[in-house]
Amino acid sequence: MSKNQKPNRITRRRFLKNATALGGAAVLGFPMISRSQAKTIRVGMPTILSGRVAQLGTSSRNAVMMEVEKFNAAGGLGGRRIEMVVRDSKGQPQEAARVSRELVNSEGCEILFDAEASSGAFAVNEVARDLGVLCFHINSETSALTADPKNRIPNAFRTARQGVHDSIAGGHYAASVAKAKGLRQWMTCSPDYAYGRDTTAQYLEYLKLFYPQAEVVGEAWPKLFQPDYTEVITKILQAKPQALYSCLWGGDLTSYIDQGNIYALFKATQFFAVNMADYTALTVVKNLPVGIHSGNRYIKTFPKTAANAAWGDAYRAKYGEYPTNWAWESATTANFLTAALKKANSADGKKLAEVLRGLKIDSPFGTDGTITMRAEDQTIIGYAIGWGTTISKEPYMPEVTAGDWKQILELELDWKKRNKYI
Amino acid sequence: MKRRGFAFDLGIATAVLVVLVILPILFPSKALIDFAIRVAAFGIFASSLNILVGYTGLVSFGHGMFFASGAYAFGLLMQKAGTSIPTAFLLTVLISAALAVVVGAICVRLKEIYFAFLTLAFQMLLHSLIISWQQLTGGDQGLMGGIPRPPFLGIDLSDQSQLYLFACATLVISLLLMRHLMQSPFGYTLRMIRDNAERAQYIGIRVWRMRLAAFVLAGTFASIGGIIMSLLMSGAYPEFAYWTISGEAIFMLMLGGTSAFLGPTVGTMMLLLLNDVITKFTEYYGLTLGVVILLFALVFRKGVADFVVEEWRRRFGENQA
Amino acid sequence: MDPAALADCLKTTSCVVTQVTSGLIIGMLLFLVAAGLTLIFGVLKVVNFTHGSFYMLGAYLALSVYKITDSFTLAVVCAGAGVALFGLVFERLFMSRVYGSNVLMQLLVCYAFILMMDDAIKLIWGAEFKSMGMPAAFQRPPILLAGGVIPAFYLFLIVIALAIGAVLWLVIARTRIGKVVRAAAHNPTMTSALGINTGLIYGAVFAAGGMLAGLAGALAAPVRSMAPGMGVSILIESFIVTVIGGMGSIGGALAGSLLIGLIRSFGSIGFPLFTEGIMFLFMAMVLVIKPSGLFGKDI
Repeated sequence: MSKNQKPNRITRRRFLKNATALGGAAVLGFPMISRSQAKTIRVGMPTILSGRVAQLGTSSRNAVMMEVEKFNAAGGLGGRRIEMVVRDSKGQPQEAARVSRELVNSEGCEILFDAEASSGAFAVNEVARDLGVLCFHINSETSALTADPKNRIPNAFRTARQGVHDSIAGGHYAASVAKAKGLRQWMTCSPDYAYGRDTTAQYLEYLKLFYPQAEVVGEAWPKLFQPDYTEVITKILQAKPQALYSCLWGGDLTSYIDQGNIYALFKATQFFAVNMADYTALTVVKNLPVGIHSGNRYIKTFPKTAANAAWGDAYRAKYGEYPTNWAWESATTANFLTAALKKANSADGKKLAEVLRGLKIDSPFGTDGTITMRAEDQTIIGYAIGWGTTISKEPYMPEVTAGDWKQILELELDWKKRNKYI
Repeated sequence: MKRRGFAFDLGIATAVLVVLVILPILFPSKALIDFAIRVAAFGIFASSLNILVGYTGLVSFGHGMFFASGAYAFGLLMQKAGTSIPTAFLLTVLISAALAVVVGAICVRLKEIYFAFLTLAFQMLLHSLIISWQQLTGGDQGLMGGIPRPPFLGIDLSDQSQLYLFACATLVISLLLMRHLMQSPFGYTLRMIRDNAERAQYIGIRVWRMRLAAFVLAGTFASIGGIIMSLLMSGAYPEFAYWTISGEAIFMLMLGGTSAFLGPTVGTMMLLLLNDVITKFTEYYGLTLGVVILLFALVFRKGVADFVVEEWRRRFGENQA
Repeated sequence: MDPAALADCLKTTSCVVTQVTSGLIIGMLLFLVAAGLTLIFGVLKVVNFTHGSFYMLGAYLALSVYKITDSFTLAVVCAGAGVALFGLVFERLFMSRVYGSNVLMQLLVCYAFILMMDDAIKLIWGAEFKSMGMPAAFQRPPILLAGGVIPAFYLFLIVIALAIGAVLWLVIARTRIGKVVRAAAHNPTMTSALGINTGLIYGAVFAAGGMLAGLAGALAAPVRSMAPGMGVSILIESFIVTVIGGMGSIGGALAGSLLIGLIRSFGSIGFPLFTEGIMFLFMAMVLVIKPSGLFGKDI
């Protein structure tokens, strides 16, 4: 937690005063909150501020605040400012849903920023479906959230990267490395939950598409937040694969690397860890093996533009820490909202949804300096996606090979057809 | 012993139901409606746990298992089988009862902390099953795509105010049924087992069978709480089967009290209110709630409803129970 | 499910050796944590649900001391002592007030501390996950042994865990302190009637249990990342181990740990997607067949 001002920090005295007032109000039966501040545009944001992934939720809030402050300082929407109402869901989907309903029903929020992990995102999606409120899914990368028609609703937009995009770009990169180095025997080691299973299966699918000689000689499935990876590591040592893929992330990935290191696991095997090039992990691992292949999460060196580097520096200067993957996604969300507000010249959810479909904005996180909200399934495309290898100090991943969006989109279409989504 | 009969309880229940129906007309707040639905779901859940803890003397750490089985069975029946809501409701209750028979038959032979741990083990087993069986349950993402809520008998539960009425009615009826059962000879047999299982055995009570009956009853009612939750959320999530849900239910019991029949429901209201107020003002929820819990456990040492009932009896000298 | 892979593994020596050693490593790390839990239950008949949080505190204390002094030994010692002190205060000021009441009150007090400690860690050390890094002394290639590999650091941990287990057993079985503790566990009223301060003993046992958890957290710190809330998985693992081995039995905790270690290491080959389920299933089976655990006796 940075020492900088926190947007919803309140003094103890005000807390007590509010608590008493609210206690009274609650006893009297939840009178409707007065809409005296009708001039501001209230945006509700359920996110995870406590527990194991609090770091991500906090960075999500930080990034949104940074962009919203810019918008407000520039005069907002004809004088109407955005006011964020951020709440902790503690990472529980039922709390995420409860908080979202409360934000809309009694806090007067007209827009939701869903900054939850996957189960929370699906819970908030159902709230958005029931209440018809405009909703941005900021952080959930699960492809099914927008690809599967049964989850899709006209008022929800995803402003996060998407698993299938990552896998196509990752598979293509892996295949080119594998071809060059003759890596035929592959193994996977991913966390055993929906994200881990889906992402790994898709990654292997595209690896084999681009490099049919690749063969999977074994799989290991540690639990999410597992403290000890010994059995997984020795299993991999047994199979002696030439290459290893993992979509472990955050603290799990660093534990895994620390434990793999003492077995000399990464000496004999090429390691492809899609979530490695994230500052939270890069800066924490003390003995980072050189040459881990990773996808970009957020990295200042990619896209290699002044705008991107400036954004990363500004964030770091403001909050005293590096931005995370959730941070750029959150900033992008705020940028999409403010762009839509200006274009629609209105804060009405329906009008905003109308202009959001197909909206293209300038963004430091776009491969070509722009990101587009694809109209048909209301998810973003064109964001920075690429792979490279790590070094153990700044800039951590100096060179990144950009993914080819034309190829990604073509194969994504095939993938959707195969899954009968379209 | 029986001071007032079923008719008296029925009268109170009807009065409460009337008040609950009028409430949203007087205070038309969606937040109030949401709150009441959650109270209904968790109130039934906590009260059902009290059949075990308060009346039978069996401390279960795994009661959330039936909350989850209710939510998942109902959600899956609605999503995959496309049944009507009453049919799914009935089938879910039956499925959960069957689950409770199997789990209970294994668990109730054990005593005290061993019973608690065995129920915990079964709950975690269910939790890892839900996470692992991704094709059916969606794994950690929960049941995706929403739970269809087609109208039946002119009732449309996708409408929040109708769901509110449905939840209130279910709460009142469930509580009435539980109350009736606990005031019946069966209920008094359970109390006898709680106070002295050996003596109960000597006078010819089949303790094992009675405990199992209580376990099944509790599990069945808990699943009804889960059904209401899945209707409200339009989904079901593996967190429902996690041990924290059982922990919260235990805290609800302790807050409200285990002796007074309405104690768990009072505790549910208190915990949910605490939760909602605390998360509104601080991200240090754990620190704040922890202090409140410590106050309760170390200073007050009894639930609010128990305290009120005892005070009442002390002052007005009603015959002791 | 992949029973064929398991059968293949069992046919080759190198696979059996590696998986057995990895089961041993997992087991010894588990034992380190579970020993404190079972000690406290054995003497006080209290299930210390805050045990995972004690472990977390130990890890964070070690991290800070290591950062300041750059000495792993000092970090481990300070973490053990710090958590022991914390355990003592926790027992004397809070737990001791709810011994008389039912198990639910004890559970509640523990639950409160789990919640508070997670937030306190977040306040003091921050929400982001941290990693300590491997001390230079252990940064060496793993040792080869009969076709299997053992990292030097794990060899060190196994020795330490065994030593701690041996010391614990010796103190309880062979010393006067041990006798008093056993007496207090067996019959607290009689013991206090003999002029022994049972309160002090209870405090000391809680401190010892806390120290074990703190040591475990500190010893594992070089290979496990830390984050607020990390205690939960540790708590559940130690539960499984102590229940299987027998609540209150140190030897049982050792046997239970090794069993779980082997289940995990061979399970990851035979049924990688359901190892956790298997562990709960095993725990349920033990409870059903022999509720007091495989080695369930009083200390």
